[in-house]
Amino acid sequence: MSGNRIPLGPFHPLLEEAEFFEIKVDGETVVDIDMEIGWMHRGHEYISEMSSFTQSIYLVERICGICSTSHPLACVHAVEDIDNIEIPIRARYIRTLVGELERIHSHLLWLGLAGHFIGYDTVWMWAWKYREPVLQIIEAISGNRNHYGIMRVGGVSKDVDPSNIPKLLEILDTVDKKMDMFAKVVNDDPVLKKRLVGVGVLTKQDAIDYCAVGPTSRASGVRGDVRKDDPSDAYDLVDFNEIVLQNGDVYDKLVLRVLETKESIKICRQCFESLKTAKGSIINNVKEISPGEGIGRYEAPRGEVFHYMRSDGTNRPIRHKVRAPSYVNIPTYKASCIGVSISDALITLAAVDPCYCCTERSLTITDINQRSNSLDILKLSKEKTEKIRREINGK
Amino acid sequence: MSKLEKFIEEMGDKITRKIDKKRRFYFNVKNENLREVSEYLFNNIGCRLSTATGMEMTYGIEILYHFSDDDTGQYYCPRVVIKDKKNPEVNSIVTIVQGAEWIEREIFDFWGVIFTDHPRMEKLLTLNHPEKLDKPMRMKEE
Repeated sequence: MSGNRIPLGPFHPLLEEAEFFEIKVDGETVVDIDMEIGWMHRGHEYISEMSSFTQSIYLVERICGICSTSHPLACVHAVEDIDNIEIPIRARYIRTLVGELERIHSHLLWLGLAGHFIGYDTVWMWAWKYREPVLQIIEAISGNRNHYGIMRVGGVSKDVDPSNIPKLLEILDTVDKKMDMFAKVVNDDPVLKKRLVGVGVLTKQDAIDYCAVGPTSRASGVRGDVRKDDPSDAYDLVDFNEIVLQNGDVYDKLVLRVLETKESIKICRQCFESLKTAKGSIINNVKEISPGEGIGRYEAPRGEVFHYMRSDGTNRPIRHKVRAPSYVNIPTYKASCIGVSISDALITLAAVDPCYCCTERSLTITDINQRSNSLDILKLSKEKTEKIRREINGK
Repeated sequence: MSKLEKFIEEMGDKITRKIDKKRRFYFNVKNENLREVSEYLFNNIGCRLSTATGMEMTYGIEILYHFSDDDTGQYYCPRVVIKDKKNPEVNSIVTIVQGAEWIEREIFDFWGVIFTDHPRMEKLLTLNHPEKLDKPMRMKEE
């Protein structure tokens, strides 16, 4: 085996959270991958244990800018689980609605970045353009584009004005049409299929062994969706399908996210329709939390978010455990990256959707003869797509 | 007979202090029985390990595992209590559940619990910390 090792991170455009990957390659094939994390450790659990239950909700909202509904929802579910607190019907629909809108914009964000990584910059720009109306809907509901701040123990803090719903449904229709277009592109484009089918396969057994969650495991044929398995809020009142695909490659992860977005739009429509007529308050007044322990979870766009709260009867938790989906999904690289070519490593890493941002950086590798040279892993990925495109077009 | 009832019957007196809430089942298990219980949950019931929570209590260090049965939405939470805070040690379950590797390393990092037979027992989050950390970060008692 040659001694080539490619460092990726800890600060790399692919990774929004700073993580370090050392990819060992033999020629152009990845033979092993090692990971180190810890650069982004901010002590959220510890800070939460010094805060009141309500303050914890605001705190966990800031763990991730994209999952800023999933964490607070899992957190309030954990507190509500301690005392089996009931939620008013209207609040249940609002929670579900905001959670699904978050899923739509998160999947669109991923779709755009995935397009960018394989040289489909038009997909990137379109996906982000059509993500904008979703953020507008969220802003109309909560007053904010991100960090909505509406989750409370016992309900939500902001109501949806029924007179606004027809207008919001119209905006949702425009997103739905664009998603149909994306679904058609994914289905019809021969270059995309040739580029992504069979790339970065995570087998069903590996997904089970690594305890992967969300689209990462569902694309490998492992069913499991918190919205179906342990339904909270209004998920037992709305009709939707759990999407499970079988191949575990990047293409299936792409298809799964597009189909999930369609399902989310379906759920949002049902929530809007129900909110036109559902009566009652949006929050139950919760004065104190009894001693005990509770588990809260929610199906975030990337998979199950897990929160554990332990209370001693005071106004703050004595233990608050948080586990985000990327924590269990990132180790699956050990299974999915091995055997892929270095030009496919980027999209394989991105397929898990590990919270990344969209700037880019070149990296330096040292080859077996200790000669330094620059290698742009993104450029390699785009060149491979271009080569396939030329082959298919016969040029 | 439900999966939960069968589990309770199969495990017998290996599990104690059982608390059964709606879709949440907490119970205590001794260190020597942890692997057997984990193996039953992972291989027989088909649970997924969500995570494990380390806690420092007055009576010792608690490790609470969270196994999720995705078919029924039921959580199985085995709790191991380590009374010796100075030399905490517990059996690793990585040989049974590959996904426990990072989780156990994080508990080692914060509470200093050594997981025996773990393939890579080193810190997870403070491995590259700029300051020298000579004691587990979350332990309050010396």
